[in-house]
Parts: sequence; C-alpha cells; structure tokens
Amino acid sequence: MKYFFKILLVLALSIEFAYANEGIKNLANKNCATGDVKAVPIYDCGGIFFGNSIEDDDPLEPLNRGIFWVNQGIDYVLIEPIAWAYSEIIPEYGRDRISNILRNLNEPVVLVNNLLQGELEDGRDTIWRFVFNSTIGVAGIFDVSTDLGIPYKKEDLGLTLASWGFGPGPYLVLPILGPSNMRDGWGRLGDFAVDPINWWTFGLPVTGRTAVQVLDAKTDNINVTDEIKKNSIDYYASIRTWYTERRLALTTAVEDRQAVDTPRPDEDEDEIVLSRE
Amino acid sequence: MKKVFFILISLWMGVQSTQAAVSPKQAEAFMNNIGSTVISLLTDKSITDQQRADKFQEILEKSFNVNAGGKFVLGRYWKQATPDQKKHFLNLFKATTVASYATRFKDYTSQKFEITGSRPEGDGGVTVLSRIIRPKGAPISIDWKIFESNGEMRIYDVVLEGISMSVTLRSEYAAVIQQGGGNIQVLVNALEKKLQSFK
Repeated sequence: MKYFFKILLVLALSIEFAYANEGIKNLANKNCATGDVKAVPIYDCGGIFFGNSIEDDDPLEPLNRGIFWVNQGIDYVLIEPIAWAYSEIIPEYGRDRISNILRNLNEPVVLVNNLLQGELEDGRDTIWRFVFNSTIGVAGIFDVSTDLGIPYKKEDLGLTLASWGFGPGPYLVLPILGPSNMRDGWGRLGDFAVDPINWWTFGLPVTGRTAVQVLDAKTDNINVTDEIKKNSIDYYASIRTWYTERRLALTTAVEDRQAVDTPRPDEDEDEIVLSRE
Repeated sequence: MKKVFFILISLWMGVQSTQAAVSPKQAEAFMNNIGSTVISLLTDKSITDQQRADKFQEILEKSFNVNAGGKFVLGRYWKQATPDQKKHFLNLFKATTVASYATRFKDYTSQKFEITGSRPEGDGGVTVLSRIIRPKGAPISIDWKIFESNGEMRIYDVVLEGISMSVTLRSEYAAVIQQGGGNIQVLVNALEKKLQSFK
C-alpha cells in the first residue's frame, strides 16, 4: 500500500509537470491569442484544438529519436522475423482466434476505464461482452458479442485521463512499446496495475501473454506502418503525428474537432499556376 | 407590409447565398461521383498501369485543391519561401500526393466504398463522411473536407480515422525543415528523392 501511494505521488507530480509545461508554452504561443481562447480551457490551447503546434511538443526529441531507432533495430532483427514465422506457422483463422482471446482478456481493464469515465452504459456493454464471449464464445475464442450487436470499444487509462481534462503532455517514445506521451505512458502503467492477470501470476505467463500481444499487434499492423514508412520523408515525425492525431481523435468529440485548423479557400490560392509534369 | 416582407425575403436570400456556399447534398453527390469514377478506374482491366496512373492524376488534379493543400502543409514556411520555391514545392507536393494515393488504392479489389452522410461545418465547408468496407476487419472511416471556391467544388483535406492528412503532412514537413536548420530547400530535396523512390 505504501508503494501504491508512492507511485500515485510520482504520477501526480509528473502530470502536474506536464500541465505546467504546457501552460508556459501557451503563454509563449502567440498564435494562441488569435484563436477563440474563451471557448476552450486554457490548457488545451497549445495544440489540442488548434492542432498547429504538434511539432513543437517534443522537448525530448533527440532522446526520443534515439529510442525510436533502437526500437526499429529491435523490430528489424528480432520482432519482424518472429512475427513473420508466426504468420507463416499459424493460419489467419488461428491468428484471429488468438487475437480474440487477447482482446477478451483485456475487457476487465476496459471495464475499469468505463467506470472511471463514468460511462455506465459502456461499462454494462463491456460486462455483457465479457460474459458472452467467455461462455458462448469459449474463453473468448469467438467474438459472439460483436455478432450480437455489442462491438468492441477500446478504452485505456490514457483516454480516461484525457476525459478528466488532462492534456497529452510531451511526446514520448517508450522502449519496445513505441509511441506514447506523458499521459498515455502513465496510463499504460496504470492499466498494467489494474489488470487482474498481472496480480495472479507475475512471471512467465505474463511475459508470454505480452509476447503474443506484441506478435498479434505486429501481424495486424504490418501493412499500416509499412505504408507510413513508404510514404514519409521523416518516418519518426510521421509516426509522431499519426500517434498524436489518432489519440486526439479518440479523445475529442466530433463537434470540437471542427475547430482544428485545416486547409480552406483563400483569395490568392489560384495565383500560382502549376506546370504539368 | 408587402414591401417589408419583400425586403426581408431578399435579405434572407442574400444571407443564404453568401453563407451556404456548398450544400451537403451537393457535396455528397460530388464525392459519390469521384468515388465511382475512381473505382471503375481501379477495376478496369483493359487499361495499362501507366494509363491508370495518368487518369488518376487527372482526377486528383481536378478534384483536390493542390494549391490550398500545399500552402497549408508548408505552414509558416510558406511566407518565407521564394516564388520559385513555392512553385517547385507545389509541383512536388502534387506529384508525391498522386504517387502515394496511387499505391494506396492499388490493391483495391474486394473492398467497397460508401458515403454514409455529411456534416456542414462552421467555416462554410462540408465534411462528407464515407467508409471503406473490407472483407475482413473493421471498416475504415474517411472524411472529405469540401469547399466551393470560384464556382468549383474541390476537396481540401482527407481525414482518415480522425487523422487529418494535411495536419500530418504539415507536422512532418515542419520537422524536416527544422532538422535541416530551417531551410525549405532541404524539404524540396527530400521530396525530390522520395518521388524518385516511387518510380
């Protein structure tokens, strides 16, 4: 229990730090004054709604880039070959079943987050999903709940903290786990702590599950990351924005997203005549 | 009384014509048209890959506002760029966009594209919501931001699963320019190299 409070204190302090950091940045951010500041909470001003200072919120960029390339290396020499073997040995049907089992085992964590967010209806859905899939779906092998009209809805502590008003804080690249930020990083730790499977057995079964989770994510995402890599000129920056924007989309209601700065017509847009190549 | 009524009506009509530049229904029809043209192009087995790429570029140039998109993704560096740099950058931006979308839609076979609705935005544009249904896995949502300017409807932004492609590119390009010490030429060179890798 003592440790629990220590962790809680560190967590609180670091989020406080992320907050303060953003506050200072916002004061310095001149663009901020031109936006409708009154309409949004001050701490959002640095980029959540305006989306124009994403590239700035990476004070640890040199370190992050370092970890990113180490991760790439580990990926290339270790994870990718194993993932390739995994997808060769186990047919797609089998991989889908494994994917379902892992997702079902994650439902308790989803439930905790549903409740922390005060989303009681989502919480009820999660309970029913877990009950149906664990029984009729044979330990989660078959996702019968989706067929019954209760689709999976991912939640994690990072999203919960966001729903409480916490900004993402500085961007972070975690060793092996990859892109994250101050808020989501602590969220991952919290999710790990509330996961009942991690209480029962700490050791081989947990490591085993994590390993299969990595393979599952890898074989599922292989095409997406490949595509980003192929189309980008700065892979690190590309992944950073994809992650930041994706988390932003998951934490912002559609109505609020309209405020995000996107291209629009202006008077001199047709000034430049393009040559046909 | 009749006169007042007439004035009110004409005022209302005036407001309507300046504010609602593009109606959601029109925007949906516009996107639907582009969607079916692209799909018939991708599934047409009688044309060569080169012809397909050329045709695709033609559609893209007509339906995307490349200038506005390019200007946006260069962000604050747009003002610093020389007219030559701007022109060079926009051409490269167009070429890399065509190349990346052409590869993206290449393996379109058993997927289905459908428009699911639209939403008028506060800035005068309309967001058309669509999704790609895959034989396996969850559908992918794609939103298209459409404006009408100079009497023409065009796409200004593509939002994939909530991720704005313009914002993503702007952030990436800014990172490239910053890494190169604030020189726009570094980005132009990188784009040129990228374009070569597509060929």
